[in-house]
Parts: sequence; structure tokens; C-alpha cells
Amino acid sequence: MKGKFPWKDMLVLGGALAAAIAGVAAIQAVSGRIDGVASMVFVLAAFFVSMYTEGYLWGVAASVIGMLAVNFAFRSPYFAFNFTLPENLFSGAVMLVVSIMTSTLTTRVKKQEQLRMESETEKMRANLLRAVSHDLRTPLTSIYGACSTVIENYDSLGREQKLKLLGEVCEDAQWLNRMVENLLSVTRIDSEKVSVKKTPTVLEELIDAVLVKFKKTHPGVNINVELPDDFIVIPMDSMLIRQVLTNLLENAVLHAEGMTKLTLRVFTLGDRAVFEVADNGCGIPKERLRTLFTGTLPSESGADSGKHGMGIGLSVCAAIIKAHGGEIKAESKPGEGTTIRFWLETEEIETEETEDEQ
Amino acid sequence: MSNNKFKVLVVEDEANICSFIETLLETNGYQALVAHTCSMGLTLFASHNPDLVILDLGLPDRDGLELIRTVRQKYMTPIVVLSARTTEQDKIEALDLGANDYVTKPFGTGELMARVRAALRVNRYSTAGSLPTGTFTAQDLEINYERRKVFVAGQEIKLTQTEYNIVAFLSEHAGRVMTYAAIVRAIWGDTDCGSTKKLQVNMANIRKKLGSRPGSNNYILNELGVGYRMIDEDGDSKPLDLAAEEH
Repeated sequence: MKGKFPWKDMLVLGGALAAAIAGVAAIQAVSGRIDGVASMVFVLAAFFVSMYTEGYLWGVAASVIGMLAVNFAFRSPYFAFNFTLPENLFSGAVMLVVSIMTSTLTTRVKKQEQLRMESETEKMRANLLRAVSHDLRTPLTSIYGACSTVIENYDSLGREQKLKLLGEVCEDAQWLNRMVENLLSVTRIDSEKVSVKKTPTVLEELIDAVLVKFKKTHPGVNINVELPDDFIVIPMDSMLIRQVLTNLLENAVLHAEGMTKLTLRVFTLGDRAVFEVADNGCGIPKERLRTLFTGTLPSESGADSGKHGMGIGLSVCAAIIKAHGGEIKAESKPGEGTTIRFWLETEEIETEETEDEQ
Repeated sequence: MSNNKFKVLVVEDEANICSFIETLLETNGYQALVAHTCSMGLTLFASHNPDLVILDLGLPDRDGLELIRTVRQKYMTPIVVLSARTTEQDKIEALDLGANDYVTKPFGTGELMARVRAALRVNRYSTAGSLPTGTFTAQDLEINYERRKVFVAGQEIKLTQTEYNIVAFLSEHAGRVMTYAAIVRAIWGDTDCGSTKKLQVNMANIRKKLGSRPGSNNYILNELGVGYRMIDEDGDSKPLDLAAEEH
């Protein structure tokens, strides 16, 4: 915005003044007399200019030019400046005051709008921060506790007990790591303006990378995978999209109670690739579904049943998909399961020589 | 095991990370040397001539990449890079400078040891030089270099020339990430930007022919945005707390 020449404001100024001059000239041509109407028309023009431009400058310029124009062209003595007539000076002053007041008002309104936007993002950030620090403290507490227990009671604890405690430390550390990865993802797409850096990624390889990593952390979980047979390339920040898919799969494992089937399906719909993670677990209550992607936890249910909250994971997903220009949606029927679906645009495949030379 | 243990130089500035890597290496039968700065790392490298370097890129005095550059001027000592979660570009840069492998922080101990073993083994092969001979086996995959044939579970797989070349090239560097650019250079000898796509298409066909499904049955692992890695002969997927040296 800054540093760029304000063409738009310039255009508004020129346009409004030209329209005013044309209007006044037309009225003059029709009715012959103009004195009273001219300054009114220019006041109107100055009003418009100050409303649709940034800052005071343009509005004031419009009123000064308007005043001079009226004085010069549309007032006796015609086509000569005359600053001695009090009515000319008076109408000029009125125009100046009108435009300054309008500029002040519009500037104030714009500022307020901006403030409101800022406070909204600030609120979102605060929400996220609160959710995060709550979620971070839980595993940290248990890591700290387990480690100091082992250190302080090294000789009195049995081997089994020590292994169990240390195993929990490992688990919590891994969980913390996932959390930090999510946070890093958020910083990678932080400001709305900066869109993600996309590189063409082969769908099959993406899914493979996600599944290989997922199987390492959740060896017991079986995932049904349905992929199209074609060679599909999607421009994306692959690290972020992996994060999305991992979050969705992990959420299903952690939160869909009673789940027996977890499906990851990808299909193409026109130039879109649709990703779907579906479980047949306990589903999500309707009132929760609405705020699923916003990162706000329903206040009372805060620390849900000792499990790590899922708020941040999904809001990160939503932010990532949005930054890619896609859309994410959740469908859920309590008792029947949840399906979360998002789409990304695929790359045009120029049917090139995929065949071998030999 | 034997008395002449492999010497591993660890260059890492975080004392706690050093301490656990050191313990890990020593319990696995390696001799560990620790340096906390880049210059100290270079000094130790010159005086001890280690068999392998584990290198953190974020060092207090200089960028770890410089150590790779300096070492590679004279030595082919394998280097395994420890990287914080950064962009693919950093990994590619380190690999292209001559690092043999990278492990992303935080890493499991098993993962690190697997990479260390793979890097040491790769080095032994490459000193032999020339064309690979004999056979390569990893899980069900078998490559016969003399007959230029590939088998999965005893069944011959019909690959095109290019596909075979890719598979053979990756197997020669099994256990190690090869960047897209490195593979393209080895197979086609050029690196215009369209060739990564060409490689990916060939790769998709290879996977299909080898019977790989996403997430399972993988002989060639994806390092998204970086390159490919053929599984190692003793298998990357093996649980590694049983990690005894076995060759």
C-alpha cells in the first residue's frame, strides 16, 4: 500500500471534479444562470472525494480546486478571479469545512474498522495461546514428574515401574513434538497475505510419506486407503499438507471412541483433489461441530476428559487449507462417525512423453 | 565386539543432546568424540580422523555447512546431519554439499543408529568403486547387477532400461537419501527443471511394478521434496533396540 502512487485516489478526485464541472456547465447551458447552484454542486463533489479517498489531502484539494473553479468560471465576473466578494469567499470556506469534516469522519470510521479487525485476530491469537499453553503444561507436568520420580527413587523402584514411567515420558515428549510442529506450521503461514510456497507434489508420494510416519507412531492402527490410479500432481507446501493429514488421522485415533474403521480417501472432482478422512467412531456433537475449526474451546468442556485437546490441531488444519486456497469441512453424526473433507487444486497435466525412450 | 571400534565425531553445541548421543554411541559399541563448536570439530577431525561425523547445522561459531565443505575438500568421511525442522531446501543444500544423510530433530535413538550404520556401510561400498557386482537384497527385493534383473519375492519384475537404472542407482546408495537432482544427473545427465517430473513419473511406475502400496511394502522411501532412499539391507523398519552390529 505504502510507497505506491495513489492512482485510485487521484482518479476519484479527477472524476468527481470533472463530473462537477460537466454538471454545472450543463445546468448553465440549460438555464442560463448558475451562480447559486455551482457551489452546491462542487460541495457535493468535495464531499464525494473526501468520502472515497484516504486521508485529508484529497478532500481538501478537491474543495480548493472546486472553490477556485467556481470563483473563476461560474461567478460574475466570469473567467476572472475575484476574492473581494464576500459570498465567493463564504462559499469557498463552506466547501473547505465540509470536505475536512467528511474526511475526518471517514478516516475515523476506517480506523475503527481496522481496530476491530486487529482486536479480532488478537482475540484469536489469545485463544490459541491459551489452548496451547494449557495443552503444553499437561505433558510437561507428567514428564517432569516421571523423571524426578525415577531420579529420586532410582533404587527403590522396580525395573518395570521405571520402564513404565520412562515410556510415558517418551510418549509425552512425542506429543509435545507434534504440538510444536503444529505451532511451527502456524508461523509458516502466519500473516494472511503471505500465501504458502507451493511445489508440485505427487499425490501418491504424499500419502505414502504420511502413512509411513503415521505407522511409526501408531503401529496398531489400520487405515483403509483409497487413491485414484492416475498420476496426480498437486501444487502444495507438502510439509503443511502432511501436517493436516496427520492431524486428521491422529484426531480420529485419539477422539473417535469406538472406531473400528478409519478410511483415507482421495478422489478428483474436475480440477480439484478431494481428501477425505472418515471414521466410524462416536461422532462430534452438533454444538461442537460449529466451532471445530476456529480454535475456540467450549468453555466448560475445557479439559476434555483428560485427553489432550484437539482444538489447536484442527484450527491449524483450517488455516493451512485456507492458505492453499482450498476448503475444509466436517460432517458428523453422533454415534455413526465423522468425515472431514478438504480439497486442493490439482495441477494441469500436460500429457507429456511419460513413455520411455527405449 | 572387536577392539577397533568405529570412531564417531559428534559436533553439537547442546550439552544435553551431546550427552545422550554419546551414551547411545558408546552403548552401541562406537567410540564417541564430542566437539561443541565448528572449529573444535575441525580440530578433532584433523587429529583423530574419525570414521563418521554426526553434525548439527546450528553451531555457535560457524554454520555447520562450512564444516561439510571443509571436510569434503579432502575426505570422503560419511557425514550425518542433524537438522532442526527446517525447509527441504536446507536438507538439499547439506546433501548436495556432500553430507551423506540427515536426521530431523527430534529423532528416535533407533533412527539415528540406523542412519549411522547405513552411512558407515555406504562408505565401505564406495571405496570399492567401479560398477556394482553380485546381488543386492533387502527384504523381498533382489537385484542382480550382472544380469540387470530385479526380483521381488523370487518373481522377476519387468522394468524398462530407465527404471532399472534408477532402481540400481538407488540400491548402490541404499540407506541414503539421494536428492532428485542427484538421481536425475546420474540417470539422464542433465538437470533441467522438467526432469524431476520425469523422474517422479518413472518412480510411480516403478512403485506399481514392485507392488508397493502407499504406506506399505516400500522398498524405496519417499523423502518428500528432497529425494528418494532405498531401504537398507538390514531393513530400516526393524525395531532398533535390538541393534547389535550384524555384519
